[in-house]
Amino acid sequence: MLELRINGFGGQGSVTLAHLLAQAALENGQQGQALPFFGVERRGAPVRAAVRISPTTIHAHSQCELPDYLVVMSEKLTQAAVNEGINNVGTVIVNSPQAISVSNHPTWQVDADAIARDAGLFSADGPTINIPLFGAVCKVLNIPQNIMEQTILNKWPGNNGKRNLGAAGKAYHEVQLCPPQF
Amino acid sequence: MKAAQVIMNTGTHAAALAAKCARVDVIPGYPITPQTSIMEAIAAMVESGEMNARFIPVEGEHSVLAAAVAASAAGARVFTATSANGLLYMHEVLHMASGGRLPVVMCNVNRGIFAPWTLWADHQDSFSQRDTGWIQYHCSSNQEVFNTILQAFRVAEQINIPVMVNFDGFAISHCLMPLTLPPQEDIDRFLPPHEPEWRLDPQNPSSFSNVTMASEYAPFRQMLSDDIRASIPLVKQAAQEYKEITGMWDGDTIDTYRLEDAEVVAFAVNSMAAELRLSVDILRDQGIKAGLLRPRLYLPFPAEDIINALPQNAQVMVLDRNYNFGHPGGILASELKSVLFGRRHDITVKNRVIGIGGIDLTRRFMAEQILAMMDE
Repeated sequence: MLELRINGFGGQGSVTLAHLLAQAALENGQQGQALPFFGVERRGAPVRAAVRISPTTIHAHSQCELPDYLVVMSEKLTQAAVNEGINNVGTVIVNSPQAISVSNHPTWQVDADAIARDAGLFSADGPTINIPLFGAVCKVLNIPQNIMEQTILNKWPGNNGKRNLGAAGKAYHEVQLCPPQF
Repeated sequence: MKAAQVIMNTGTHAAALAAKCARVDVIPGYPITPQTSIMEAIAAMVESGEMNARFIPVEGEHSVLAAAVAASAAGARVFTATSANGLLYMHEVLHMASGGRLPVVMCNVNRGIFAPWTLWADHQDSFSQRDTGWIQYHCSSNQEVFNTILQAFRVAEQINIPVMVNFDGFAISHCLMPLTLPPQEDIDRFLPPHEPEWRLDPQNPSSFSNVTMASEYAPFRQMLSDDIRASIPLVKQAAQEYKEITGMWDGDTIDTYRLEDAEVVAFAVNSMAAELRLSVDILRDQGIKAGLLRPRLYLPFPAEDIINALPQNAQVMVLDRNYNFGHPGGILASELKSVLFGRRHDITVKNRVIGIGGIDLTRRFMAEQILAMMDE
């Protein structure tokens, strides 16, 4: 069972990102679970969501305290998200304009803000970063690009889906493993 | 023959879909977190015509259940849902439904009780309604919620007793998981249309629930008590036939995991019991013969099945997500001790209260709790 936690700010689309990843798991022939933590919901407040992917039935229903993958929606949250807990050999994926590295953890970086802006994807809270991040996380988790694309089209049939495909596909190719920090 | 369909769905939407698949006639509703999305989903399906049913929005939970009782007395198949203080506000009418022998099925999405306010799960709400004469299931997965609502209608209508289907707020209610939907014709075969022996009929006026003298009242109450206990074989039969038709099984009155040779038995309900399977695996990896016994039925408490399932000389670690005020521990431990008394002298019962108000219960934390309890 693979465990992943998303740390973000309210309004960044962490819940939808968690749902997309769980749906992609099912589309990919596996079991998926998205378990957002609903607190006192406010825009800008720290939020988190758990995602699990497994070839067999998922029985866990807790938040992911020591995830194998940590997705950070904003580079400002990186240290706080790591401090909250991660598997010793866990991988970090950060939305950041430049390369970033977390000590002792393989770190992937993608500029989701820029990709969303270039694709014209905006919500009331700014660029719709969860779409490029979905593409980036699929790449890191080895979820095939066609599965990623089908998941988006299932959720947003029509033109909205096509615009999302462009941004997610770009992130799928641009997400990069950063040089380790010693 | 049509194949089952697998979709991604939250626990609340699984409950709403079960109500649709049960072909319910009437759904009175009032919102309360974390149940609200059940009522929202049903209202949307009624509005779109996907459900051929009457949705009745009312001004509070007492009226929800009053409308449910009236619709059920008129012969309708009735479903509703609530949580925490909404359930407590229904308390008086819960008795009306069971005493009136009305087979309403209601989901209670478990949430801690005011005061102070909390939104997250514990089991004080459902357990505190023990003495209202409702049959109570507690479910540990989205799929079990769906399956159990269908089984609940069957049992309720066979024995004319209302059934409460409980599951945890957020950990299940807002958790997106795969859900297997059996073909509708299979569900129809499992759950035939509701045909009550008696109903209120404006064309044939009759009165219902008059004042009774003790000589009439006492036998009514005795019959209710006897019939609640007689529901156990019906619960087993419903689970068995549901399995034969759909291939799905969540246990009947109880569910067990690695129990046969267990020396240490975790005992809990709802989503924490699902997570406890992983705690059992952790303990087994450390060489401890651990197992799990999860009562699916809280009321009637499945005494005989528990007595028969517990291995010799087991230490039972009851993990209660509730308080039994006035006692040192929780309610499940108290129920378990009362059924073991005089029957299983070989069993040791230990108890802790954990996870109150939705404190996250991880597999590691619960394995540590069980380890610590072994030394007590």
